[in-house]
Amino acid sequence: MIRFNHVTKTYKGSTVALKDVTVDIKRGEFVFIVGPSGSGKTTFLRLVTKEEVAEAGEVWVAGKEVGSLAPWKVPYLRRNIGCVFQDFRLLPTRSVYENVAFALEVIGRPRHVVRTQVPQILKLVGLETKMDRLPGELSAGEQQRVAVARAFVNRPLILLADEPTGNLDPATTGGIMRLLERINEYGTTVVMATHDRQIVDTMRRRVIEMAQGSVVRDQVRGVYGMVDA
Amino acid sequence: MSSAYLLRETGGNLVRNIVMTVAAVVTMAVSLSALGGVLIMRQAINKATVQWQGGVQLAIFMNANASGQEIRAIGDELHAMVPQEIQKYWWVDKERAYAEFKQMFAGEPAFIKVMSVGQMPPSYRVVPARAQNVAQLAGQFDNQPGVHNVGYPQQAINQMLSHFSTLRTVALVLAAGVMVGAIALIINTIQLAIFSRRREVAVMKLVGATNWFIRVPFMLEGLAHGLAGACAAFMLTYFSRGTIASFVGSDSLNFGAPLYVSPHEAVFTGVFILIVGMLVGMVGSAFAVKRFLAV
Repeated sequence: MIRFNHVTKTYKGSTVALKDVTVDIKRGEFVFIVGPSGSGKTTFLRLVTKEEVAEAGEVWVAGKEVGSLAPWKVPYLRRNIGCVFQDFRLLPTRSVYENVAFALEVIGRPRHVVRTQVPQILKLVGLETKMDRLPGELSAGEQQRVAVARAFVNRPLILLADEPTGNLDPATTGGIMRLLERINEYGTTVVMATHDRQIVDTMRRRVIEMAQGSVVRDQVRGVYGMVDA
Repeated sequence: MSSAYLLRETGGNLVRNIVMTVAAVVTMAVSLSALGGVLIMRQAINKATVQWQGGVQLAIFMNANASGQEIRAIGDELHAMVPQEIQKYWWVDKERAYAEFKQMFAGEPAFIKVMSVGQMPPSYRVVPARAQNVAQLAGQFDNQPGVHNVGYPQQAINQMLSHFSTLRTVALVLAAGVMVGAIALIINTIQLAIFSRRREVAVMKLVGATNWFIRVPFMLEGLAHGLAGACAAFMLTYFSRGTIASFVGSDSLNFGAPLYVSPHEAVFTGVFILIVGMLVGMVGSAFAVKRFLAV
C-alpha cells in the first residue's frame, strides 16, 4: 500500500530529513512510526500525500509512484488518504456536522451521500448527539474524534495520523486509539507517528523507529524503545 | 461543483470583505464610465457628421422643389470639373436625405414627425480635389437656379473633432489610470479573501479537492467585482448619454440639432463595457489566485 524505495529528502538549508529510507507497508497494516523530534516522522507522512517531494528514490502509494504523479492527479491521490493531526485542524466557525460534511462537499460528493454518510460516521466516533456543536464547545478528545471522522468519512485506503494523541490525556488517548483500531479493522491501512510510549507498548503493532532521518528498527510486534526499555 | 456551493462561497467572500469589495467595484465603475463616455461621444460625432463622411467637404443642397432640369444642370457642371477640381461627387436623393435627417434629429422626434420625405432637400455631395478650393467651389454654385444653399462646415467639424480628440485623450488616460487602481484593488481583495479562508483552503487541499474547485469561487469573486462595476458604469453612461454627447457639441452643424445618442447605441456601448469589466475582473482574480493561492 505504501512503499518507500531508497527515499532521500533534504530541506533547504541542507537539513537531511530522510536518508535512504526503504519501507514497505502492506494493505490493512497498523504501523507506528516512532522516534525523537526531527527524526523524519512527519516528513515521511508528508511524502505519502505529496506535500513534499522526494529528491531521490521512489514513493509508491496505492500502486502509483507519487513523485512522478502529475500535479492535477494529486487531489485524487489525497482522496485515498485520510489525515489526522495533533492540532485537529477543524474549521472553528463550522459545526461538527459541517466540518465532516465539508470534506465530502469539496470533493464533489452529491448531497444525498453527504446526508447519509456524515451522521453514520459521527455515530461511529460517538458524536451523534453533538452534531450541531462548534469545535470550540467540545473537549480536546471530542475535537480529535471529529477530525478522525472527517479523515475517514470518505472511506480512504490509508489513514495517516501525526501525533494524534499529542494533546490528549491518557484516558482520552485510549478512546482515540480504539477508534483508530476500529478503522483499521474496516481494512484501512493506518500509519501513526507518535511519541507516546504507553500506546505503542500496549498495542504491540508493527513499529518503525527512525533516528536522524534513517530507519533504525522495523519490528513486527514492537515496543516503543529497545535500548532504554 | 454545484451552483449552490459556488453561490454561497462567492457570496460569502464578497460580503466578508465588504469595504474592499465596495472600493474595487467603485473604482472599476469610474474607470469604465470614462471609457464608456468616450464611446458615447464617438457615437454622437459619427451621427452628427453623417452627411460629411467619405471625404465630403461640400454639399450643394437643392430646393426641395427644384426641377429635374436644374438638378441636371448642376450635375453636368460637376461632371465637367472631374478630375481637375473635383475628385468625385454623388447625388443624395430625398429618400436618402430623409434617412440622414432621421439620424441627425433622432433626439428630436417632434421634428421628424412634422417633416416628410417630400420636404427634404436633395443634394450633391462633393469631394474636392484640393481642400483649399472649397470656398471657391461653394461660391460658384451658391447662386445657381434651384440651389438652396451650399454647405462646407469643415471648420466646425474640425473644431469639434479636435475638441473630441482632447476629451478622448483625457478620458482614456483617466480610464487607464483608474483601471490600474481597480485591478490592484481586485487583486488585493481576493488576496484578502484567500487569506481569510486559509483554513478552509488547507482542509480542502488535505481532503483532495481539485485545484479548480478551490480556485473557482475566488475567480468568480473577481468576475463579480468587474461585473458590478460595469453595471454601475452602464447605468451612468446610459442615463447621462445626452450630457456626455453635449460635451463635444457644436451648434454650427446640422442646423443646430443637439448631438444625440440613441438608447439603442448606448446599450451597445453598455454591453461593451460589461464585457470589458468581466474580462478585467477575471484576469485580475486569475492573477491573484495564481499568485497567492498555492494549490
